[in-house]
Amino acid sequence: MSVRELTTVTCYHCGDACAEDHRVHDDKDFCCHGCEVVYDLLNESGLCDYYALEAKPGVKQRSSVDEQRTELFDLSEVRDRIVEFSEAGITRVRFHVPQMHCSSCIWLLENLHRIEPAILRSRVSFTQKEVAITFREERFPLAQLVKLMRRIGYGPQLTAAKEQVHKGVPHMVYIRLGVAGFIFGNTMMFSFPEYLGSNTEAGLRTGFQWLTVLFSLPVVFFLSTEFFRSAWAGIRSRTVNIDQPIALGIVALWTRSLWEVITGIGPGYFDSLAGLLFFLLIGRWYQAYTYRALRFDRALEDFLPLVVIRRTAEGEVAAKVSDLVPGDRIIIRDQELVPVDAVLRDGVGHIDNSFITGEPLTTRKEVGGTIKAGGRQRGAVIELEVLRSFADSRLKKLWAEQASLQDRPTMPRLIDQVARRFTIAVLLIALGAALYWWGKDPAQVWPVVTAVLIVACPCALALSMPFAYGHTIRLMGKKGLFLRDAEVVERMAHVDTVVFDKTGTLTAREAHEVVWMGASLSTEEKSMVRSLARNSTHPLSAVLYSELKEPLLSVLDVDDHAGEGVFGLVNGVAVRLGAASFSGGVEQPRANGAAHVHLAIGGVWRGYFMVRKRARTGIAQAVARLRTRLRVALLTGDAQVDAELTDAFHDTQVRTGCSPLDKTQAIVQEQQAGHRVLMVGDGLNDAGALAQSDVGITVTETTAALTPASDAILDAQAVLLLPTFLLQARRARRIVLASLAISLCYNLVGVSFAVSGHLTPLFAAVLMPLSSVSVVAFVTVAVTLAARSKH
Amino acid sequence: MSVIFLLIAASTVVAGVFLAAFIRAVRHGQYDDDRSPAVRMLHDPAPPSNENTVDR
Repeated sequence: MSVRELTTVTCYHCGDACAEDHRVHDDKDFCCHGCEVVYDLLNESGLCDYYALEAKPGVKQRSSVDEQRTELFDLSEVRDRIVEFSEAGITRVRFHVPQMHCSSCIWLLENLHRIEPAILRSRVSFTQKEVAITFREERFPLAQLVKLMRRIGYGPQLTAAKEQVHKGVPHMVYIRLGVAGFIFGNTMMFSFPEYLGSNTEAGLRTGFQWLTVLFSLPVVFFLSTEFFRSAWAGIRSRTVNIDQPIALGIVALWTRSLWEVITGIGPGYFDSLAGLLFFLLIGRWYQAYTYRALRFDRALEDFLPLVVIRRTAEGEVAAKVSDLVPGDRIIIRDQELVPVDAVLRDGVGHIDNSFITGEPLTTRKEVGGTIKAGGRQRGAVIELEVLRSFADSRLKKLWAEQASLQDRPTMPRLIDQVARRFTIAVLLIALGAALYWWGKDPAQVWPVVTAVLIVACPCALALSMPFAYGHTIRLMGKKGLFLRDAEVVERMAHVDTVVFDKTGTLTAREAHEVVWMGASLSTEEKSMVRSLARNSTHPLSAVLYSELKEPLLSVLDVDDHAGEGVFGLVNGVAVRLGAASFSGGVEQPRANGAAHVHLAIGGVWRGYFMVRKRARTGIAQAVARLRTRLRVALLTGDAQVDAELTDAFHDTQVRTGCSPLDKTQAIVQEQQAGHRVLMVGDGLNDAGALAQSDVGITVTETTAALTPASDAILDAQAVLLLPTFLLQARRARRIVLASLAISLCYNLVGVSFAVSGHLTPLFAAVLMPLSSVSVVAFVTVAVTLAARSKH
Repeated sequence: MSVIFLLIAASTVVAGVFLAAFIRAVRHGQYDDDRSPAVRMLHDPAPPSNENTVDR
């Protein structure tokens, strides 16, 4: 008896735990054949620095459900999008490779020329997750390049939609920021004589003042345009937004300063004006910077294959899905999605409709049966005859239906509410001060009113939110939740109800629990079961094969009766695995979504395996934590919910057998009752509900995979952190409120100086940067500390 | 002392040239990717690329 080692062995390539497919090669452990193959390829090409730069940098070769055929890359419209130039046999393409995540990835992708001599050079742009490859196409076709990249785990992703991935910060933001800094610095320098109050000659003094006037022109007419535009849009739509007091402040600053210089009474406040724009634009830059490079919007076309194999008189040729007409014959292989409604003409279909309904068990289709678009074939090759073109398919109608449902209720943004009250308060104070000075010394009215408008400019206010929420977004991103923009944080803070989908969200797609019901089996008998299961294509057999660890034996005379069971001779003994009727057993009542696989050995029924989907680790605790503050609910398309989840959700709303429309309606009901709903789901069947809810979060196993349109993307491993994320959002909102209080204090100090007529240019120039920097520092530190604390 | 305005004009022109260079760099995508240059400089130089080999 050998002692079982307790430490888990991890794969040298990708870091996953090595399970039953564990293999040792070159003194290194690998979790599967795929990882071993990539290692070999890199080793042969002398690229083992890949492993030296980062430990376990590889991406595990999961059979990607979204993989397009490589023939796709020969289509002219695809080539137009990715080929940058092609001349004299040399071509340069630009691929989008979202899998790259570390320095090893960059290194490997820039050293592709060492694997394949036809590749000349490659250059990575990590922020855009793109790689530009120059290669000799005449001797190494594009389709082969794609295959090579897929082999090493960096297959390029293509989307059907026309728009490109968001390309980081727009250039104009940087240009504006650069100009603002240039003008700010120079204006400050020109204002130094004023600050220091030195005895300069009148001629020099006016000269400097006019210089500052000159430099202020680009500030008002180039840098401020977006604030004016937004303020004007607010006025036209009768709403108050934060840009209106800003625009007002800019105008007041500039006109007052111009007046002062022209009439010669003073130097004006041009330095404050330049500083104001500089800090505001920093805020805008930070907002653009925290916007992640993930795509959040999806069209239906992104989910389906763009190209299928069509059988014509000339043979089998690749054709675009949108070109298919009724009557065309198409060929669908194992694991491929059926893109149009079609009739089965040859072969046996085992169709998995989990894409639409979430239910992964397959239905069997015979020749003549109809297969709807969106189903996935799990079995041998089948030939279909197209029934309806893609545009007419039921799937497209379902998608359009969900898109046309009523829009989600709007949630007023905190910043706009504040802006409204702030603007009114400022105007009242200005009015009050004007009346006071009108009675006391009319000459002071305009100076005081403009001073009030100047100092009340909400620079710190406008900065606190982008920095607080932007920083929160970054911290959440590090833990696995990627938000679309800052507004989502605020909506998350207001949520009072959380609705979960089951399949793929609370349960991992591939994790199962297998329990044997019956008299215990010997090791040899378990081996027999495992060996037989290996020869069957049924998903339940795959589960049995991976859950049992006994060594394999040879199997003969395998007879796979799809849908009923599999029969085989293992070591001469007849073994049957499958439905109760097939294995001579008695049908047992199924508890909560379990599947039963009955076993008969040597013609004698022995019992059955109960196979259940396992919930993700920590889900029960996460749900319990959520329930201390919020309401929760579970909506699923499955017929049953397992015991583990039923316990976690007891006394709350649990609905089974929901169609996509049912889910959306349920959320609408909650919203009409005044609740703010956060929905967590995955897959096409949740798309409508996700769009309808106040915050829609999609769970994904890999960030490279496509997910429905939503406000946020959540890594599968991070689902149990959901209560923490909601807490972080609530805290961020409280921090913003605190920072608003701080900036109001600065405003009060400034306004009191302005009302009493003592607002000097120096004071204004110091107050604004001081308030901005202190508020931003406070907000950043507070958010970081709040994220660290455990409760 | 009023020669200072001549000096200011001259230095503003020089500063303006730098500003123009900055804008040009931004337009050409210099700041589009701020992550990979930091990583790239840590890599050891690769053996020369295949650009100069005609036949292989």
